Amino acid sequence: MNISLQNVSFSYTDDMEKAVLRDLNLEIHSGECVVLAGESGCGKTTLSKLLNGLIPHYNHGNLQGKVLLGDRETKDMSLAEISTVVGSVFQNPRSQFFNINTTEELAFGCENRAIPPAEIRERMDRVIQDFHLESLVDRNIFHLSGGEKQRIACASVAATEPEIFVLDEPSANLDLYTIGELQKIIELWKAKGKTIFIVEHRLHYLRNLATRICYLKDGRIEREFTPQELESKGPAFTASLGLRCMNLNTLETEDSPAAAEKSAANNEKGEVLTFENLTFAYQKKFPVLNIPKLELPKGKITALIGLNGAGKSTLAQILCGLQGSFKQKRAAKKLGTYLIMQDVNHQLFTESVLDEVLLSMEEENEDQAFEILKSLNLGDYKDEHPLSLSGGQKQRVAIASGVACERDVIVFDEPTSGLDYKQMLAVSKILKDLAAKGKTVFIITHDPELILESCEHIIQLDHGKILDAFPLSGNRKKLLQLMLRTH
Amino acid sequence: MLDPRTKLFLILAINSLVLTAPLPFCLMLMLIPAALLITKRQFSFVVGFIVSYVISGILFYYVKEHDIGIVGAVSMAPLYLMYRMMPIGILLYYIFTTTTIGEFLSAMERMHISKKISIPLAVMFRFFPTVFDEAKSIGHAMRMRGISIFCLRAWKDPISLLEYRLIPLLVSITKISDELSIASMTRGLSPTAKRTYISAVGFHVQDVLIIAYTVAVWILYLLRDRLPWEFFA
Repeated sequence: MNISLQNVSFSYTDDMEKAVLRDLNLEIHSGECVVLAGESGCGKTTLSKLLNGLIPHYNHGNLQGKVLLGDRETKDMSLAEISTVVGSVFQNPRSQFFNINTTEELAFGCENRAIPPAEIRERMDRVIQDFHLESLVDRNIFHLSGGEKQRIACASVAATEPEIFVLDEPSANLDLYTIGELQKIIELWKAKGKTIFIVEHRLHYLRNLATRICYLKDGRIEREFTPQELESKGPAFTASLGLRCMNLNTLETEDSPAAAEKSAANNEKGEVLTFENLTFAYQKKFPVLNIPKLELPKGKITALIGLNGAGKSTLAQILCGLQGSFKQKRAAKKLGTYLIMQDVNHQLFTESVLDEVLLSMEEENEDQAFEILKSLNLGDYKDEHPLSLSGGQKQRVAIASGVACERDVIVFDEPTSGLDYKQMLAVSKILKDLAAKGKTVFIITHDPELILESCEHIIQLDHGKILDAFPLSGNRKKLLQLMLRTH
Repeated sequence: MLDPRTKLFLILAINSLVLTAPLPFCLMLMLIPAALLITKRQFSFVVGFIVSYVISGILFYYVKEHDIGIVGAVSMAPLYLMYRMMPIGILLYYIFTTTTIGEFLSAMERMHISKKISIPLAVMFRFFPTVFDEAKSIGHAMRMRGISIFCLRAWKDPISLLEYRLIPLLVSITKISDELSIASMTRGLSPTAKRTYISAVGFHVQDVLIIAYTVAVWILYLLRDRLPWEFFA
């Protein structure tokens, strides 16, 4: 089914001066796979909402121009009607489910379409086979990892067999292996002649799939590329557009001379912080985590890699004393660990940024708190409400509160999921600054670009055990191979 | 498994007795969710729940009959609440953990209840577990900052403790409800359209047994004054 946007302008308020999209034109032909890329906040998600009808039916605002699906305008169709032609997958796997049970979720869209139960079961069997979901049938979604949830989300949309798929940053929370699975799923849809529209700034997995890549800037489609064109322009060019690399194999795998010089010093581990007895199990027979000893080089940045569901988040929680036995919690307190959560909204409590930092201090000291804020570029925001800030700023407030607690080990859970290239560089700079101040930084991440940019040591986790630990310098190729490795 | 309509009937039955009936009747009714939870292998939960319920019931009667001064006056209300509300608590726990949204919607449709009522009710099944999940993460974050009821700050300013807990929760709740409505609408859920159901809902032997048992308890309750046993009166 063709999609056509004609002279579309949209503003969330009545004020067209603040329009997110301005006079945008886009034709997508049946069977195409179009990728929409651009820096954060450029209006990518807004455009995807136009296609799945959430604008104008759910988010109201000022919409001008025409959005056509086939030959009908979306504003003349109801959301239920649009949902029969457009299937949507969203970025956040946490809340795109209506059901708690995975089997019911797979059937949900079909049930709403009043498809006979016998046929729903047939379709479910088909998607379970296509997406290899045998182990995820009839499970509670609260017990699934992010990657597993995203696969269920894709499968339940596929079961309704829509003509058009709209995906909004589907890879944001996935490891490289699961991104590979996602790639296969999209390949399957493309082979069936479906029209696919993907909003994304991680482009590497789409290089053989996309028919074109549209670059959105200032509410307009500024440029269009074929994937080959964009790749041939090299990684520096994609980075200048704020996009992630086109091909992971072109990432810098040789150490820069400066790094090579440092590597000699790095390879001698220097001082290490030792954590002992990091074990955890929900049920005795099935340990989630079994690490007798974990060593983190002091004052350096260490990355923890491993597939979705390897026990990484559990390890972070035990390191920070949020789970586990009394003994483990006491050890965490003694070593002074602090976790920056993936959803930082959970850890901001107060009415102003300055209060947030003061709250963490043993003895409230405003000058010192302001110093900490300034060092994280938050000086101008000290009186703002933390929840009114942007995602990156919130993350920095959370870091500031950890620094104010005088914790020496700061653990980050996926600090760059869903961030574009520039934001990723900003995070990496903060990590380096923290390390330079003598903090030990431990990052859980699926982001090879972040690791290559900032980390010094790598620890690989698999099924709750440490499989390997090595310094990054001299091992860059090995790291990429490990992260791309299939099961 | 039980039909959702049987579960609704149980809610009504327990609610109608629990505020007035003496302890033995409440215990007899609590046997149902307890037995059902045991079939789900939740032994420790059931045992803990029933023991604490019986203790609170006995304590309540003790405090009521004996004048033990200010301690009695203060503990009377919470004990009463525990004693009267816990049977509903265990039943709701059972219902929320075992009813799927599809089963619930299907049963409501069989009862010819409008989707305008049943869909919002169904959303609750999804909403509460999500809120508990969020609250847990927030609790974690507070503990990491050293904010708990045991710390000095909490005693100086107890209201702020509540505020720290509630504000992030409210923010995430508004976000979740927004995302949930988007999830349901983009998947075509609509109060007007016809819908099919894959979960086969129907009355079975276990439903009949449980309803019969509940009705028997009811009749026993109505006849309690004429029964020969002093115990029930």
